[in-house]
Amino acid sequence: MGYVPVKGGTQAIEASIKRLKYERLKGQEIIEIKTIMSTMRGMIDQVMSESSLYSPYLAALSIKQAEGSMEEAVFLMRAHRSTLPRPYYSKTVEPETMLVERRVSASFKDIPGGQVLGATYDYTHRLLDLNLIEEKLEENQQWLQNYQEELRDIEDFEEVKYFPKVVDYLREEGLFEEYEVNNTPPIDITKQSLQFPTTRSERLQVLTRGQTGTVTSLGYASLRGYGQVHPTVGEVRVGTVPIYVEHPNKMEHSAEDEFYIGEIKVTEVESFVPINVKNENNEYELEFEIGYGICYGQNETKAIAMSILDQCLEHTDSDFPTHDEEFVLLHIDSVESTGFISHLKLPHYVTFQSKLDSIRQVKKGVQGNES
Amino acid sequence: MKRRRRTEILIQGDERLADRLAQSIIDTYECREIVAPQYGLTMIKMRESAKNSLFYIGEVLITEAKVEIDNCIGIGIVVGMKDELAKQLAIIDAAYKADLPETTIWESQLIEAEQIIKKEQAKKQAELFKTKVSFETMEV
Repeated sequence: MGYVPVKGGTQAIEASIKRLKYERLKGQEIIEIKTIMSTMRGMIDQVMSESSLYSPYLAALSIKQAEGSMEEAVFLMRAHRSTLPRPYYSKTVEPETMLVERRVSASFKDIPGGQVLGATYDYTHRLLDLNLIEEKLEENQQWLQNYQEELRDIEDFEEVKYFPKVVDYLREEGLFEEYEVNNTPPIDITKQSLQFPTTRSERLQVLTRGQTGTVTSLGYASLRGYGQVHPTVGEVRVGTVPIYVEHPNKMEHSAEDEFYIGEIKVTEVESFVPINVKNENNEYELEFEIGYGICYGQNETKAIAMSILDQCLEHTDSDFPTHDEEFVLLHIDSVESTGFISHLKLPHYVTFQSKLDSIRQVKKGVQGNES
Repeated sequence: MKRRRRTEILIQGDERLADRLAQSIIDTYECREIVAPQYGLTMIKMRESAKNSLFYIGEVLITEAKVEIDNCIGIGIVVGMKDELAKQLAIIDAAYKADLPETTIWESQLIEAEQIIKKEQAKKQAELFKTKVSFETMEV
């Protein structure tokens, strides 16, 4: 198959791009970047996670430019990212450094440090709030003031608390396997194409930047029987983690000489998955393994679904699509899947004509075996 | 004060502190801009808690600047698009590298700012703990 260059569309394309701008402007309203940043937290988090670029400001800009189309916003972010240099790799971010804003467990009622709900939609009525139609800035300011006054009576902590993981307590009891710290340098999938079978680091990187809907759907499919993982959520955490980088000069590589550069917000999940293993007496015994999920921002559904898929792919099994790493990892990326699907609407005149010619020839009965 | 601690204070705290400290150096010394504030990426390496292995979660946008004072190069790096702060951090870094006398005076200001940051973080966490669940088993 070959491609045949054609021309004649330039003016139409220019007019189409102008029309696109017209569609964005015709309502004569401007949405400010700061408005998107202040009010569209969920969208920003999703765009940052799927584009694998943490920048709330650029995510808000991409949402504005894409008129709210997630796939277009993620594409814009990925494209922008490819224009930037990458001068640094961070030091390893250790999970226990998270400053927790929300932390719940579906496995234990009483977890050391307690369950902190933070900000969540989980307990809201899913009814449209018609009051938001006439929302007023002054009323919001008054609400904020009242809320601040409510918080004034709270007794401050003496210092910030960092919470150990729920799983750490279970490991101390010997209920979960302990793993030695593994400092094998990870593979970066943005530098090296996926080769199957993949390493764990590659799988986690692909999953964390996967399209939210796809990650969720495939995780759900596993629960429904297209996989063999049905976990209980051990812990969901939302919070910020600090980022440090090493000085480029090797003489200044001590921990105290590192740069603190800021923090990022993430959602992190550990799911407990029951599995049957044979013991020394060749009898089946119930054990637990951990599925791991994490993503930029607050996106708990995605992180939980990722933890299911992580566990699925740790036990490859071609009988189940969600345990097939080629099936999962090659179809989960937003830019790759939306890009390929949407390219189908671009001109395929020659390939289609060639197929038509074949059918015409068949219909005319001029196939080689008849002549 | 070492870099790790002071950058934590200067980035997490009131940005006016970095501005003030950098300004005091600009007023007295020649600061040569080596690299004007520019945007770039840092790839974030994480440890996952299931098997204790490492992976890359993704990239974060940063602003980086480099400044030279008395033949000593200072680097400023900060998450986000923060040109001014990146340059101020680079100036402060160069001042420490050149061991300028001002840096000794800064110590108490930085420690004071650090205490404010810790207090604010603890307050924010205490506020969030209003959403902590207090389970009670019900009689049925």
